[in-house]
Amino acid sequence: MSTAKESGRLQLRDADRELLRRYHELGDESARDALVERHMPLVRSLARRYAGRGEPLEDIEQVGAIGLIKAIDRFDLEREVALATYATPNVVGEIKRHFRDKGWAIRVPRALQEMNAKMSATIDRLTSTLGRSPSIGEIAESLQATPEEVLEAMEVGSAYTTLSLSAPVGEDAADPLEVIGKEDEGFEHSEDREELAPALARLPQREREILRMRFEEGLPQTQIAEQVGLSQMHVSRLIRRSLMAMREELD
Amino acid sequence: MPEPDQISFEAPLEAAFGPVVRLIVGGIAERADFGFEAMDDLQLAVERLLVEAGSDGNVKLSFELRGDGIRTRVGPLRERGIAEALQDSEGKPGTLDLQRILSTVVDSYGVEQAADGHIVVRLEKLRGVAL
Repeated sequence: MSTAKESGRLQLRDADRELLRRYHELGDESARDALVERHMPLVRSLARRYAGRGEPLEDIEQVGAIGLIKAIDRFDLEREVALATYATPNVVGEIKRHFRDKGWAIRVPRALQEMNAKMSATIDRLTSTLGRSPSIGEIAESLQATPEEVLEAMEVGSAYTTLSLSAPVGEDAADPLEVIGKEDEGFEHSEDREELAPALARLPQREREILRMRFEEGLPQTQIAEQVGLSQMHVSRLIRRSLMAMREELD
Repeated sequence: MPEPDQISFEAPLEAAFGPVVRLIVGGIAERADFGFEAMDDLQLAVERLLVEAGSDGNVKLSFELRGDGIRTRVGPLRERGIAEALQDSEGKPGTLDLQRILSTVVDSYGVEQAADGHIVVRLEKLRGVAL
């Protein structure tokens, strides 16, 4: 005799199968949308396992949703397996592939990833408290770690990958400069820009503005961070990645 | 006056070793009580220099921990473009070249001649107000 829980599960499974049948046999796209919606809680739950590794949770969920859609598309109606069971490895696989493509998150020890996640806020807090840039020793003390661990954790987050420059690196999905819509000045208005300009122009506006503030106005990272509403560490990474992207463009 | 502590090592120019060099530069800056920002500047200066130096062979890096900061020497480098870029009295206005980057992130830099027409780039980075 089935318990109420089992009975509910069977009903869900039957409802999934009916939607899968409508999608696969009749091409009913609304049935696929309904399946995605029904299984997004599963995707969110799996995505949360990978949170705190330098990627916004929403982005991980989106990647997981791609895995879910692939599972729905590949599902074989002949198989006696629940969609949730079939989709789980697809979703996890898609998320892992995403991190693997980014080159670091999966193989970096969790302790370093967690320290990296705390780093930005710690540096900004200490900078504000001390009125100057904190030393690595001070950051280490605050995080109850050794200076070497802090340096390693910093390196964890600044991996040499071909990350999209327009993608948020962590704490800030919103781009204040896009909201402000400020015009670029400086580098791009030079007459000596033939070689450099295309590479610079291909950078997102926020990165161009940060480079202008750093290398034309000579502003320190702390001031740039304040002006663009990012952490100091994020500004540092955007500068490095932008310079790297421009150099690769010139090669 | 005591001799400054010195650290020297040689690393492949291959990009895969960039993070290793960064980590070591960070460790040296930490020993010199650099603040995060000064350390990041020195790491960026060395990184950009190595990127411009190409990807073949090895490069020597040496660091003198002086009372007020770190003197870094990178080279001998074969890449003539670096010497030309750095020997201009002033960078091209409006461009974001190596000279512009170095003059922003280190307190001073210079090019020293080495044997066989090679050059050594010297970077001076002061500790700033970290202590």
